[in-house]
Amino acid sequence: MKYKFLTYLFFSLSVMTVMSSCEEEEYAIPTLPQELQNDVIKRTLGPNLTGLNIEFAYAMALPKSMGKLVSAEVEASIAGAETTYLDNKSYYTNSSGVDVGIEVGSKSVNSGGKTTVTFTKDTMAATLRYFYRIPTSAKGKEVSFKFSATASNGQSVTYNMGPYKIAEMDMVLDLDVKDSSAAYISIEDLAVYNPTQATANAAKIDLVYLYRAIPNITFTHGLVAPSAKTYLPNVTLPAGVNRTAKVQKVWALRDFHLARLQYGIYIDDLDFQKLDLSTAVDYAINLRAEAGTWVETADGKYRAYIYINSINNATKSAKISIKRYTMK
Amino acid sequence: MIKNIRIICAVLLTTFAMVACKEDFPVDEDGLLITTRTQCYVSNFELLGSDLQTVRTSNAVIDTTAQTVTVEVFYGTDLKNVYPQFTLVTDAKLEPKITGKTDFSDLANPKQYTVVSGNRQIRKTYKVNITVQKP
Repeated sequence: MKYKFLTYLFFSLSVMTVMSSCEEEEYAIPTLPQELQNDVIKRTLGPNLTGLNIEFAYAMALPKSMGKLVSAEVEASIAGAETTYLDNKSYYTNSSGVDVGIEVGSKSVNSGGKTTVTFTKDTMAATLRYFYRIPTSAKGKEVSFKFSATASNGQSVTYNMGPYKIAEMDMVLDLDVKDSSAAYISIEDLAVYNPTQATANAAKIDLVYLYRAIPNITFTHGLVAPSAKTYLPNVTLPAGVNRTAKVQKVWALRDFHLARLQYGIYIDDLDFQKLDLSTAVDYAINLRAEAGTWVETADGKYRAYIYINSINNATKSAKISIKRYTMK
Repeated sequence: MIKNIRIICAVLLTTFAMVACKEDFPVDEDGLLITTRTQCYVSNFELLGSDLQTVRTSNAVIDTTAQTVTVEVFYGTDLKNVYPQFTLVTDAKLEPKITGKTDFSDLANPKQYTVVSGNRQIRKTYKVNITVQKP
């Protein structure tokens, strides 16, 4: 009885040992596929805004014995804006970390949604950068890309990327605001007006920029809706400027597009859609550089994020950048 | 064979008996430990604005005898949307619970919060008096 039990035990142990034993696989140098190959990476991050680029790096190569590259082409489902191009340089990074471009083809030609580079150098491998400038017509739509390359031996390859959603947002960068002159901000026009212009566009003025140094309190830079008279000391509003707005202060939301700093934070359409400013006030004072405010216009038509790029107490001015979303 | 099974069963039973859990520590309705501590006070108070930055102009004054927290906030603070933060003595808890943005805009009727001691026997209600900086 006892021996039988031991036999079973040894048997099962040996089965387990055999099953878990490992076999050492010998390393073999990969064999080079004898054909034209390609690959693509997307280099830009964050939401795709009209007026900005979507950047890709398109790599293509074939064995030297099989021929050379003839042309590279990218076809976008929605034709890019005028400045869309496929770089005719192939880059390498030198010892100082700088990308150095070597010209390998003629300047790219745009035709409809297609952008083509024809190789002029005898080359069998290249990585070309593609810059798709998002056109206004693509707003809210999806765009996809077909990368293709051809070689002198007649082979061709393609690589599909996308679809990528183009954001509905609008953006304006580096507007200069100055106390009592360029102080009237219109979210609808994404513009800053002086008092005379503000009178002409009175129904579109959502915020007033001001700087005040008042003893005993901290006021400094403010973005105040014309309706919040308490927070507009010594401001004579131009005729007809009387709208309200919902304003909420934010700190450390340094959107990459607006701030252009090292922080990888992006405000997207969804942030505006989910924003709840129902209990927000109509003013924001004591604003600092790198701060911001969420804004909703009085009619609820627009939601925006105003980022303070820089402030200047001496000149009573600031530099602001705005992302705006039109509500549906 | 039967003897072996009996031994195994005995060992298993002993192991189960040893690892069985026994409720040694009482907990309250929030699952928090009820201890023997009787101290019951607020040790620090913070008030954050909608941008999650402090809105206090100076440290809050906490009077544990009068059971008040007095704090001055910046001119222009949006008191409808502030986040209060209480620091309490060890093991104590706060009622009502703070779940997010709180409306402190009714300055005439200061908000009240009750501190409950670690043994859950002592309750002290603190009044939060807010004043706004004036020009």
